[in-house]
Amino acid sequence: MTREEKYRQVRREAGATGVLLFAIILFWCAAGFGLAGVQGEVFGLPLWAVCGTVGVWLFAVAGVYVLVRGWFCDLSLEDEEQSRGGGAR
Amino acid sequence: MMPQTEGNLFALVPLLLFMALMLAIGVWVRRGRGFGEDFVQQYFIGNRRLGGFVLAMTAIFLVLGIFGKRVALLSREFHAVTVVDIIRARFESNGLAMLAALVIVLFFCGTMTAQFVGGARLFAAATGYSYETGLVLFGLVVVLYTSIGGFRAVALTDTCCALMMMAGIVILLYYVLQAGGGYTAIIDGLHAAHPELFDPLSAGEMPVGLYLTQWILVGICTIALPQSVVRGISYRDTHSLHRAMLIGTVVVGFMNIGVNFTGILAHGVLDGPVSEYGSVDNIIPLTIARAIPPELVGLAILGPIAASISTISGLLIVASSAIVKDVYLAHARAKGRTVGAQTLSRLSVLTTAALGGLVFLIALTPPSLIWIINMFAFGGLETAFFWMLLLGLYWRGANRLGALLSMAGGTLAYCAAQAAGFKVLGLHQITIGMTVSLALFLVGARLGAPTRAEVLDTFFPRAEEGTGGRR
Repeated sequence: MTREEKYRQVRREAGATGVLLFAIILFWCAAGFGLAGVQGEVFGLPLWAVCGTVGVWLFAVAGVYVLVRGWFCDLSLEDEEQSRGGGAR
Repeated sequence: MMPQTEGNLFALVPLLLFMALMLAIGVWVRRGRGFGEDFVQQYFIGNRRLGGFVLAMTAIFLVLGIFGKRVALLSREFHAVTVVDIIRARFESNGLAMLAALVIVLFFCGTMTAQFVGGARLFAAATGYSYETGLVLFGLVVVLYTSIGGFRAVALTDTCCALMMMAGIVILLYYVLQAGGGYTAIIDGLHAAHPELFDPLSAGEMPVGLYLTQWILVGICTIALPQSVVRGISYRDTHSLHRAMLIGTVVVGFMNIGVNFTGILAHGVLDGPVSEYGSVDNIIPLTIARAIPPELVGLAILGPIAASISTISGLLIVASSAIVKDVYLAHARAKGRTVGAQTLSRLSVLTTAALGGLVFLIALTPPSLIWIINMFAFGGLETAFFWMLLLGLYWRGANRLGALLSMAGGTLAYCAAQAAGFKVLGLHQITIGMTVSLALFLVGARLGAPTRAEVLDTFFPRAEEGTGGRR
């Protein structure tokens, strides 16, 4: 990968991370406040509390898994180009 | 009120063993791997050797996803060891770098003192030994192993601490359930005594604004904390980073939910009104003292103490690197002096020890100023570094004046608002800090000179399409 390609990839990954954060916040809102009126309990705790904590956690873990597997790619951290700023072959 | 474990020797043994282990790691890291040719790089960032598991305990997916690879690539290009190194290279400003180093050292000292005090108070409340005993037992050891072992010791002991914290949560949860008469009894009691806890806004005790600012203060903006960003510099390869993001999310989530849930269940052990127990900070120590059998108290306090020492060591090594690398070495280089390897190695260890020792002394009789600094520290660091790092690393238009205005002005605005208790719409002052900081950055970017093309080309490489190559 050239330095330029690496930079573009890193930028794309940072953007994807931001999107995941946004998705987690949305999920948290929906689970915490959206379910507040819904009856039902899990182990004596209201549904919104369980989904807004443990649910968000599981969602985040799944989200990070998808992010890392689907969007991130392995790249060499060393400079592979021979000459600085050039050599995009 | 006072715990019944007065002078309980059982309470000391686990802590002594744990601290001995931490110290052994510090010494082992130094002996085993040695600090050879490039001391600064090895001492302050562990010679970029961290694997996935070690790193995971220290940072979460957000900071690694947004800054991890970016700083890893840049640091290799510039042989950077600190976040300030990268800032210096990006904005070509010594003044900005010095200011950043100052902000780091000042706020870190405040936070470290608070961690020392918190840990020692918890120790005193739960074991019955004196505050000073606690401070010496864990405080001096942290300073010692961090000074000896450098970043690699910090990273390895962090992992031990995280495991200890998780174990501590499980132990505490188990005994809280026992002492409270079982899970069902505690929950039924809560339903009867605190029905508001079962409503998301807790009958107005937990306003929407607080939820919002929590996402900002302890969520989004934490990506800019220098002690987190620096971890990106230190990992071995991208595979380790990916693993760290996943493991980190699992571990941090577990700890957060576990410790908060334990706090709620503690209502079953401490069933009086909060005012009876002093401040909220006393809840976990008192719960430990009441719920846990005396012979296990020593084991139970390891969790919270581990949290304290891993925070302290992480801050200490970064603060020390700010002084040695960002101020002293940069100054020497500017004067055209070269610093010998031996001098540098001694200086790094001594600076770490001196800084830690200073904080330790302050923690013995903390002046009120230190609480003010600590109160400003978290949000202050975020305000200082958030836009500078985010815009600096991802926006070509970010320039020196913008960064300088944003860091200085934003941090001042945040601290002033915090000191005056001034809020907009009842929201935490971090919203003021972030807004002012961004506005000043944009103003500076418009008015100030743009960054030189050579710097931009290194930071934002462009494909050489047909016309003219690099400009």
